[in-house]
Amino acid sequence: MASDVFTRWRYKLVPDKIVGEILSKNWVDNAIPVLFLLIALGVFAALIPNMFTTGSLGGMTRTAGEYLLVALGLTIVVMAGGIDLSVGSVFALANLSMLALGGVVGLPLWLAALAVLAMGGVIGLVNGVLIGYLRLRAFLTTLVMLIIVRSVTDTLLLSYSKQMSSVQIAGPVWDFLAFKTILGVAPSFAVAMVLAVLAHFTLTRLRVGWHILAVGGSRRAAHNAGIDVRRTVCLTYVMSGMLTAAAGIFYAARLASLGNDTGLGLEITILTAVVLGGTSLGGGRGSVFKTFLGVVIVVIITNSLIRLGLRSGASSLVLGAILLIAVGIDVRWLKNRAKLLARSYVSPTYFALPPLQKVTRAPTTPYAINDLLSDAEPIGVGEVDGPEDVILDEEGNLYCGSRDGDIIRFLAPDHKIREVYVHIGGSTLGLAFDREGSLLVCVGGMGLYKVTRARDVIKLSDETNRSWLSIVDDSRMRLADDLDIAPDGRVFFSEATIRYEMHDWIIDALEGRGNGRIICYDPRDGSSKTILSGRQFPNGICMVPDGQSFLFAETWGCRISRYYYEGPKKGRVEPVIHDLPGYPDNINLASDGNFWCGIIGMRAPAFDLAQKMPRFRRHMVMQIARDEWLYPNMNTGGVIKFDLTGKIVQSLWDGVGERHPQVTSIREHRGYLYLGGIFNNRIGKYKIPGADPNWTAGQAYWGGQSYEGAKP
Amino acid sequence: MIGWVRNRLDAFRGRGAYAATVPPMDGALRPNTRLEEAAVLARVSSPDNLVLHQGRVLFSSGAVIMALEDGQTREWRRCAAEVTALASVGETLAMGLADGSLILASDADRLVTGLGRCITSLSAGEAGQVIVCVGSAVHCCDEWKHDLLTGGASGSVWQVTLADGVAKLLAQGLSWPAGSATSGGQTVVVEAWRHRLTPLGGVPLVSDLPGYPSRLSPAADGWWLTLFAPRNQLIELVLREGPYRKRMMREIDPDHWIAPTLSPAVDFNQPMQGGAIRTHGIIKPWAPTRSYGLLVRLDRKFHPIASYHSRADGRFHGITSALQMGERVLVTSRGGNAMLSLAEVQP
Repeated sequence: MASDVFTRWRYKLVPDKIVGEILSKNWVDNAIPVLFLLIALGVFAALIPNMFTTGSLGGMTRTAGEYLLVALGLTIVVMAGGIDLSVGSVFALANLSMLALGGVVGLPLWLAALAVLAMGGVIGLVNGVLIGYLRLRAFLTTLVMLIIVRSVTDTLLLSYSKQMSSVQIAGPVWDFLAFKTILGVAPSFAVAMVLAVLAHFTLTRLRVGWHILAVGGSRRAAHNAGIDVRRTVCLTYVMSGMLTAAAGIFYAARLASLGNDTGLGLEITILTAVVLGGTSLGGGRGSVFKTFLGVVIVVIITNSLIRLGLRSGASSLVLGAILLIAVGIDVRWLKNRAKLLARSYVSPTYFALPPLQKVTRAPTTPYAINDLLSDAEPIGVGEVDGPEDVILDEEGNLYCGSRDGDIIRFLAPDHKIREVYVHIGGSTLGLAFDREGSLLVCVGGMGLYKVTRARDVIKLSDETNRSWLSIVDDSRMRLADDLDIAPDGRVFFSEATIRYEMHDWIIDALEGRGNGRIICYDPRDGSSKTILSGRQFPNGICMVPDGQSFLFAETWGCRISRYYYEGPKKGRVEPVIHDLPGYPDNINLASDGNFWCGIIGMRAPAFDLAQKMPRFRRHMVMQIARDEWLYPNMNTGGVIKFDLTGKIVQSLWDGVGERHPQVTSIREHRGYLYLGGIFNNRIGKYKIPGADPNWTAGQAYWGGQSYEGAKP
Repeated sequence: MIGWVRNRLDAFRGRGAYAATVPPMDGALRPNTRLEEAAVLARVSSPDNLVLHQGRVLFSSGAVIMALEDGQTREWRRCAAEVTALASVGETLAMGLADGSLILASDADRLVTGLGRCITSLSAGEAGQVIVCVGSAVHCCDEWKHDLLTGGASGSVWQVTLADGVAKLLAQGLSWPAGSATSGGQTVVVEAWRHRLTPLGGVPLVSDLPGYPSRLSPAADGWWLTLFAPRNQLIELVLREGPYRKRMMREIDPDHWIAPTLSPAVDFNQPMQGGAIRTHGIIKPWAPTRSYGLLVRLDRKFHPIASYHSRADGRFHGITSALQMGERVLVTSRGGNAMLSLAEVQP
């Protein structure tokens, strides 16, 4: 159809999925301040000529340096869930103290500076003790502190201004601080930048930083986690006080001002900068970089407004308005981000399956439906939760994965006794025995693990190479699904999708895109490398006994292909079956040299059509509840046996779909077929008529070198 | 103007009239399993149209009218086409057939034609009259899914006088009228696609039902209302998604459509919704479903006061007719191929 061609190209050329992937990133919070900065730059550059000359920038960095110092302190306080309104007054007092100590008292500058810093720290400590230990409200406490410190400043100013105005501080250091630049920026800015980097490092990498974030995120949870919440809160105010005092020192050096409007309204300016940057007033979210952005924006705006000749009152008005808008955006964004992400992350694309062949109960057709699996003998009914894969060792013990992260073992010969073989965590999916009899496991959300015969759990691989153009971090393994081991020991395993976590795996079907890949783990050097990507939910993997290739199933693609990892065809993918009427899952060897493949569900024409209409699926995801979404029909499943030419040799079904509605795994062992299902509460055991009663996969794989001989 | 803007906004955001939501089953419609646990009187293929005619319980199964006597069913009369509606009016048994003919059988048969091909329901009107619901002027009874998905609103209600067989049009432009009841000189019509009960020429008595309602029949003190299929968010969405709906109707077999059905899904080619995955061997009773069994007891003013359910995991779906027999109620589950006998619960 013409419209199909159009749709296909439309979705091929426009990568819609990027929107959701970017939204899922933490740094997307920075997008709004960056946008705001660009707008501010654009507007004022157009309004004011010579806005961004070097001289002008140098001047701006002097203000910016002081603002940034104060803002760093406030950021730390806000991130821990508090607020510090006293910064303006502390700033003024620090300015005054510096001038007094350095000038009137005549202390050496370094000592005066240290004393002023200590004073800032003490005021912060008072705040901190009141708020952190005595649990007073941060807003009121610091508001009162604002008034008290301001009064003290005013009183001192009134009493000593005459003396102070007669004494000037002089000296090369003082002048350097006041007039010189370092690499084109003011010393205050340089110091602030160094401190910003330190603060960033502290907040993101050090214990105390994590504690601050944790306390801001949830006091109760932080307390429960053993964090000393009171001390952490107290500490943030001390830091804020000291950083503000530092800013006051630079201000003193710059202006030597004795005016009584020093630092007046500074708290609003800084708060605007912090919130505008995207640090949430609710605590727990924010970063130093955001604050930096916010400060730059605020400085540019205030500076430009002054240059435009607005009166200082008007400037405050504009800042106030911006603060209001920033707070509004902060609240709305925090509230709706998750919702927006949930709606926009699923990104359907065009996908057309080959025509659906008719599957009936007529026994002559290759996929003839029957009810043979309904008779499978149940094992462990109610004792297993989602045995995605099952496997048997040479002694006949039966192992299966589970949703809650265990590997369960049922003991031979009758599989009546159940034990937790080992607990790994994550959903345990694909299973395989290696030459030594260790069990290799694909764990959803974790990667590839090995369980030795002594039941030690060893991580083999949880990351692979990062591809350059992927926005989601595809070096991490989200959904390692099934594996098989080549004769040379290399492990080939599938990762079903890189866009969804284990509990959302079916949603990947709604996208119709190749989100999965196949990874090779090489035990010789412990490396992992992606060998095939862009596959549609690659699932089962099974070695072909030629030592050169393996078969793999792509669930949503309804096809089985063969990949050559060695030999003349190395690197090639050949189709084996391209038009299955159902969704294939794990593939395993059969005793007669053919292959078994579990069918997890059947294709429904309505779903196939929806795959060709991405807009419909997008509307569905946006408009209706998740449980109501159209999925592939997973309530009828079965097993097929096929050969390497793609011929279907046999098919076994649970046509009614009561006992084995989805078959995700099949293992043949001594004449029986064992069935697993990811949503099932049982394992099925089906007697295969005419199958070799002595055949085991262990012998087929490792032959005479089986670990039988190495048994402890 | 504001209305138009709001309409466009709603269409864009999928809200208001464009929201694919369904009303919850709550209040008198709170789910239970009373229908699922009812006694099965007989296993019959597609039973429908229960009536009490001259002391005898009759119902249809395809083209055959069956009689229920002492718990046994037997063939009572065979018609030329599938029986789509039955009503007993005094001495006369009115039979609507799939070919569009209306047969008034008393001592002799009289044939009334010209009512279209879609007689969905017959009921006794004022003395000597029968009310005929014609679901659609375009589709026949079997094509009810087509009518729903094309937004059908071409149904009509007629009044046929028994004495002379003259049909008089009472109302038209209805969305699949599927049942009617007359009391106190007022005829109430059930509009399935609009999920409501409306008296002719009046305002709706009950609206926004959570399913597609069909037949009304008298209860001891009120009425029985059958709902043959549930509403479902996905179906509501498909009803609003023109391109997908049209292509689905053009390319896919009606049995595999995303549309309401009478019987629980058994065909693996049918669409499945996420919540309906069989987990640990069971389907959740509250799973999203395209078929459901629901019988509602209405009071004299047609307000729901009690309900009888067979839920998503149940067998007796597609309830199409009910008949009060003293203390018990006979119910046909067309989707479950069963005749049920239900003990009434006092609301």
